[in-house]
Amino acid sequence: MEQKKIRVLLFKPGIDGHWRGIVTIAGALTEAGMEVIFAGFKSVEGMVDSAIDEDVDVIGYSVHSGAQHAWTRKLNQVLEEKGVRDSFLIIVGGAIPLVDHESLKKEGADGVFGPGTNTADVVSFIRENLPKSSITAD
Amino acid sequence: MYDPKKLAEEREKWLAHSAGWQERKEEFESDAGVPLKSLYTPLDAQNIDYLREIGFPGMPPYTRGVYPSMYRGRLWTIRMFSGFGTPEETNERWKMLYREGETGFSAAVDSLTFAGVDPDDPVDWLEVEVGKEGVPLYSIRGVEAMVDGLPIDKMSVALVVEPLTSTAVTSMYFNVARKRGIPIDSLRGTTQNDILTMTIGYVPWHSLKPDDLLKLACDLIEYCTARGEAPKWNPVNFTTYNYREGGIDAVQEIALGMANAVAHIEEMLSRGWKVDDFVFRFAFHLAAQRNFFEEVAKYRAARKLWYRLMKERYKPEDPLSYQFRFHVQTAGSSLTAQQPMVNIIRTAYQALEAVLGGCQSLHTNSFDEAVCLPGEESVRLAVRTQQLLQEETGVADVIDPLGGSYYIEALTEELEHRIWEYFEKIESEGGIVEALKSGWLYREMGKAFERRRRAVESGEEAVIGVNRYVVEEEEPHPPFRTNPRAAEIEVERLNKLRAERDNQKVDRLKDELRRACDKRENVMPVLMELTREGASIGEVTNIYREMWGLWDVPIMG
Repeated sequence: MEQKKIRVLLFKPGIDGHWRGIVTIAGALTEAGMEVIFAGFKSVEGMVDSAIDEDVDVIGYSVHSGAQHAWTRKLNQVLEEKGVRDSFLIIVGGAIPLVDHESLKKEGADGVFGPGTNTADVVSFIRENLPKSSITAD
Repeated sequence: MYDPKKLAEEREKWLAHSAGWQERKEEFESDAGVPLKSLYTPLDAQNIDYLREIGFPGMPPYTRGVYPSMYRGRLWTIRMFSGFGTPEETNERWKMLYREGETGFSAAVDSLTFAGVDPDDPVDWLEVEVGKEGVPLYSIRGVEAMVDGLPIDKMSVALVVEPLTSTAVTSMYFNVARKRGIPIDSLRGTTQNDILTMTIGYVPWHSLKPDDLLKLACDLIEYCTARGEAPKWNPVNFTTYNYREGGIDAVQEIALGMANAVAHIEEMLSRGWKVDDFVFRFAFHLAAQRNFFEEVAKYRAARKLWYRLMKERYKPEDPLSYQFRFHVQTAGSSLTAQQPMVNIIRTAYQALEAVLGGCQSLHTNSFDEAVCLPGEESVRLAVRTQQLLQEETGVADVIDPLGGSYYIEALTEELEHRIWEYFEKIESEGGIVEALKSGWLYREMGKAFERRRRAVESGEEAVIGVNRYVVEEEEPHPPFRTNPRAAEIEVERLNKLRAERDNQKVDRLKDELRRACDKRENVMPVLMELTREGASIGEVTNIYREMWGLWDVPIMG
């Protein structure tokens, strides 16, 4: 059994303009052989629709404003409303304090990556935790 | 004195002698890639003409400092970049910093103020960002509350807002000053107003095209300086710090700052002004990064290059126009979330670079800033870091104390050549505005992101606590949190204002702003009236968007 190419949708929720992190991770995931769709600054609703349309496996977003909890709850709420929460692996990165990792996971993030993360850890996290629906026989 | 021939012979002997001693690495180089010798001697600085290249402080080419007495006369300004939650909470923090010995204020604004959006704008879930990254300044009332009771007639204030909203926020601030009876021609302070911060340092939501941002930036320069409305105000602060944080090197940092200034000079000249009408108020905001001596040499090279650029290209008469005045911020991107106390030490070294480099004002980061805005304890330590340099170490007692070091002089000269080369490269890309539109600058930034990631992940670039000396189970430092009710408070403030203001008058002035935008007239005179009458940041910025259209930023190059 072989895995198809992993598809990842990356975006910045809201209007915060700290862009280095999300572009850096886009480069690293592409280098690791994943297909990255970088959507820029978007609304959470719009992103969930894009994720469904683009048939991605992973949704990743980065927060540098301190609003990581609010955005994570919002994304999870929209995913639940549309009944697609289990179709995606959700990862969040950015300026996130260590003490927030567990609470963000409770609020709906599968993986949380703060400052100093080695991108290889993000790559292996994605590979090991992909939703079952995205693993198909070739 | 030394005999160069004799010295060269002796150096050969020493090289032969040291050849048997193994070095830690095959090659040593500075952060910007300058190859470093193991030792510098008078031979490395022998071609430097002291009077022409180094000279005296306060005299051309200003390598040793812009003022004749430097810190012997007046110490640098301790200016902490600060803001969060609500204007009232920010005001309390500013008062605390003032009590602790801060000597200048600097407003960090939130993402809505930066992007020019009101908190009640129907954009998806905007309210979660209110007061998170900085202070919300959505109208004259917010600005008034932020500086309430503070001696803004005596102490300078920096407004860290960029061309999308710099005109609106500065006009609010000027109106607040007038209301307090302070004439704006006596006001001291700065508006950051930097188009590159707005485009490559931070990519704002729904931004304008680079030409329009440049137009707005120059409107403020024209109003304050060329027309003389606020002659003591620095209407622009080329903030190379913000692009350096993306991972570009010291050479690129200064070259971008120069090219950015050139774009503004050319725009002002095309409006019919002369360099002497405005350049004397140009100021810069540089980074203090990890590589100690290179950063010190960078400040010296920057002063010298600015002098050279002015002399060769623009020939102003006012000596002030040749003087590269700058604020420094220690490097936020060098801070780690891991073992955060180590950040205090990083910041202290970086602050020392800035002081040895002759900065005019300094912000020292707090140790918790890798993950949150600073709390009281950490920001107090950051202020103390500067006070320690000023009052205990004696480093401010002699001007340019590293000047004359063979190494520093050789490095200053080498950086000068490299910076000029990269500056010419930017010019060959058509200058800053063209290089933004073509995506070239975004590609340069993208390359820097990638280069830094590889360097840190491979361990080639040491980051203590991240790829060296890692502590597995860390005790997390409790992060500072901003007021969760900030959005509610700010929406209420805005509603109250809209109910109390003369809406007919505001509407009439909004139409006047539309007309000014359409004719590409200076927006400041009408903004002074419009924000005084209570127009909000979103109302003003949406008129720019409506009249000029948005820019599809080529983020991925």
